[in-house]
Amino acid sequence: MRPLPNLMSLLASFEWSFIWDNRDEFLHGLWKTLQVSLIAIAGAFAVGVVLGAGRAHRIPVLSQLAAIYVEVIRNTPILVQVYFVYFGLSEPPFNIRLTAFTAGWLTLVVWGGAFNTENFRAGFEAVPYRYREAGLALGFGRLKTFLNVTLPIGGRIALPSSINTYVSVLKNSALIGPAISLPELTYQAYSLESVSFRATEIYFTLAVIYLVVVWVLSGLIRALEAWLALPEAKRVRTRQQRLWQAV
Amino acid sequence: MLLPALTPDWSGPVFRYVLEHGLPFTLKIAGTSVVGSAVIGIVLGTLLTIRFLPLRGLIRLYIEVWRGLPLIVTLFLIVYALPQTTFHLTFRPWVGAAIGLTLWGSAQVAEATRGAVESIPREQHEAASALGFGWVGRHVHVVLPQALRRLLPPLVSLLVNVIQNTTLAALVSVTEVLFAAKQQVERLAAPPPAGLLQQHGFAIYAAVLVFFFVVSFPMTRLAAYLERRLI
Repeated sequence: MRPLPNLMSLLASFEWSFIWDNRDEFLHGLWKTLQVSLIAIAGAFAVGVVLGAGRAHRIPVLSQLAAIYVEVIRNTPILVQVYFVYFGLSEPPFNIRLTAFTAGWLTLVVWGGAFNTENFRAGFEAVPYRYREAGLALGFGRLKTFLNVTLPIGGRIALPSSINTYVSVLKNSALIGPAISLPELTYQAYSLESVSFRATEIYFTLAVIYLVVVWVLSGLIRALEAWLALPEAKRVRTRQQRLWQAV
Repeated sequence: MLLPALTPDWSGPVFRYVLEHGLPFTLKIAGTSVVGSAVIGIVLGTLLTIRFLPLRGLIRLYIEVWRGLPLIVTLFLIVYALPQTTFHLTFRPWVGAAIGLTLWGSAQVAEATRGAVESIPREQHEAASALGFGWVGRHVHVVLPQALRRLLPPLVSLLVNVIQNTTLAALVSVTEVLFAAKQQVERLAAPPPAGLLQQHGFAIYAAVLVFFFVVSFPMTRLAAYLERRLI
């Protein structure tokens, strides 16, 4: 029997110079991934705050429509959504032809917005009613009360879950690339592989890049979370949780 | 009256193709990965509660890697990269997709199991030990049956997520529901002997969306209901 090679000799057998020679492809892809993700995150934030507020304050019609929107998006695969937006809408009866870039960020906004609506609804609903009463009693109108009281407090409560949604948005950009030929990181790797057949080196590098991006982002998020946390929440944080964050 | 409008002539073969060729793969991938994720996830999640740092570190790494990677990258790694390593591991595409989904799903379940097991009061462990159970017996007979109650809602959500994520197998050329639907859209757009030179992408992709919604919606409701009832 042939002896099994160990992991180190496996890694050593890769031709890493190939990755270095093609670093531009990866960098361009990463840049496109970040572009799409940033636009989508900004859009998902806006959708989430507006519809989340509509849901939390039970604004008639808007609240029901938002509920349907959330259920439809959460219960259908994002890959089918992007096919629908890119391949489905471009045909009759709508004939809306979008570029891959537009279809990509649009789908991610719609997808992330639905999850964010739930995040912000929960956040806004967690704001005690007496805080809003206090705002109204100080003579603020309903909108001003929302902007000055509910949004800062509820927004912070919703922060951890909404940020998880943003990380998912970035990760989902990876499947949109190969699906509709949008040249983001995964698509760049995929097309590089289809001309060079160096699948191992390419996908190993791809995985490492995503892990670094996602892990760095998660680390930053934890720091931001701790910094923005409500004073009450800081005290609740137990030793156990800190231990887990360290591991 | 409504039925003829919903089922135009071209739709019959499309439905049949998607149900006969696509659905079996979707079910095979979903079934395998849900069972695999639940078993591996519950074992890893329980082991994660042992206070032994190297073991913990390893399981943490497993969880963080498979949860951190976009699922499609995991699938590409398994389906395209593994066959080229010196191990020459080659799977049929649907098996590769099922393995990828299992790695991701088991990481999710492990995290949920850790929380569920840690939520069982220490007295339960102590009482089981006092009855003479060892570590395995204590967990299998006393702790896990109680933790399973808390684990039920996340497991139902996992099922929904796995079913939705089986569509990613389309990107590694497995003929599951979405891929079969795409083939049919392309066939209908082709000139006559094969197709009809007609564009039905909108209707077909909308139907796929409806299909997944009809399957998933009752289950997400069930998960929400269980969450309210059990915790």
